[in-house]
Amino acid sequence: MFDLENNLNAMNTSSKSNKLLGFIVSNLLVLVIIGVNRLLHVEKNGVMVYSQFVILPILIGIISAWFWRDLHLKTKTIIGYSLINSLLAIALSYIFLGEGVICLIIVSPLILVFVITGAFIGKMMFRKKNQTINVSIVSLLLMVFVVDSISDHQYENMVSDEIVINAPPSKIWKNVVAFDKIKQPNKYWLFKIGMPSPMQTTVTGYKYGAGRKCIFSNGYTFDEKIVAFDVNKNLTFDIVGQPQDPEIMGHIDINRGQFLLKDNGNGTTTLIGNSWYNLRVFPIWYYDVWAESITRNVHLRVMDHIKKLSEQ
Amino acid sequence: MFSFVVKRLGFIKNIPLTALIFDSGIKLWLSVFEPKKLIWLDSLEEKVVSWEGVSISLHKFGGTQFNFNKKEIGHVHSNGILDVLFDQETKKHLMGKGEAEEHHVFKRSGWISFYIKSDTDVELALALLKKSYLRIAQKVI
Repeated sequence: MFDLENNLNAMNTSSKSNKLLGFIVSNLLVLVIIGVNRLLHVEKNGVMVYSQFVILPILIGIISAWFWRDLHLKTKTIIGYSLINSLLAIALSYIFLGEGVICLIIVSPLILVFVITGAFIGKMMFRKKNQTINVSIVSLLLMVFVVDSISDHQYENMVSDEIVINAPPSKIWKNVVAFDKIKQPNKYWLFKIGMPSPMQTTVTGYKYGAGRKCIFSNGYTFDEKIVAFDVNKNLTFDIVGQPQDPEIMGHIDINRGQFLLKDNGNGTTTLIGNSWYNLRVFPIWYYDVWAESITRNVHLRVMDHIKKLSEQ
Repeated sequence: MFSFVVKRLGFIKNIPLTALIFDSGIKLWLSVFEPKKLIWLDSLEEKVVSWEGVSISLHKFGGTQFNFNKKEIGHVHSNGILDVLFDQETKKHLMGKGEAEEHHVFKRSGWISFYIKSDTDVELALALLKKSYLRIAQKVI
């Protein structure tokens, strides 16, 4: 009777420790992989490759599943544990990798889905008790991670938006080149929760080659140089200095901005805002959706303000 | 949603891991909005795995695949669609009795689909899988 009780107690303790090890070992191992990756300077110019957001979360799930293999967990429990694992990974990224809160909010759905996928891949892998296949799958994932880390990643995109302003180009032009503080409250949810939004633009002169500054709500400033100054038609500026903060600005390089004014001949003007950027975070199919959305909302906030000033 | 992805975005299943990732998304969705379905699917899996010689694996298009001697008995997607392969005659018979529907994609094949929508559907799903299991086991043995 006592033996049975002792065995049950021992099993319970072992289950608890395996459950915990599933959380701890998987996250620590992945943290070490990222640390080594950074120490070896594999990441080029701070580029974060897709495998960091895909392969490594899958690996977290698989490693956890190995520790949980004898716990006979139900699907709902595996999803719950994967959620805890994802939160741990996100917290560790905040503490050790210096990622910003908004950036982590953006990445969290991706991490969660891949950790869950890894946990279910692991569940099946370790049921089969085929160590050769298991080692092969983990090795393949690590190989993909290494190859992806040392590969070149380049991605440039352009976002364009337009609005119609009830004013002629001559009245809009000065507001396009520079404008006073935007006082309207933010409408975009990421700006509302703390992502820096554009506030003010200043120029050193109304001419080609002049310096321009775009000041954001947190005080960060983009230094720009006017490279096309076609009065009432085209203002193009290159970004020559960009703040690096842990939020989204650390993962995107804005290269050029442009305002085009088209006289509609009826007292209105179509104002077109274009931005060119390089993304330093992959996979593109996920992050570019966010980058486009953020750029679009930067455009619209500035262009709405220009509209308001010009229509007064 | 599932039907739209399978019919219109079917090509994405050829990208490694995509189907499994989509399936994880379904599981996550169900865990919040329809957790009972996950319990039914767990119960189905647990019972089928208890049959002699049955093993499970991940289905290539997402979900759990039940196998006997390396041959597929059937598979269940995480949204509760059970797919089982029969011969045309058995398929006709099952559909005639209202115990199965045409496969959600391959309508002309011997594949049937059965939608697990309630607790009692688990027993009906088990009966379909048992039929397929016995058919395959007879051939193998």
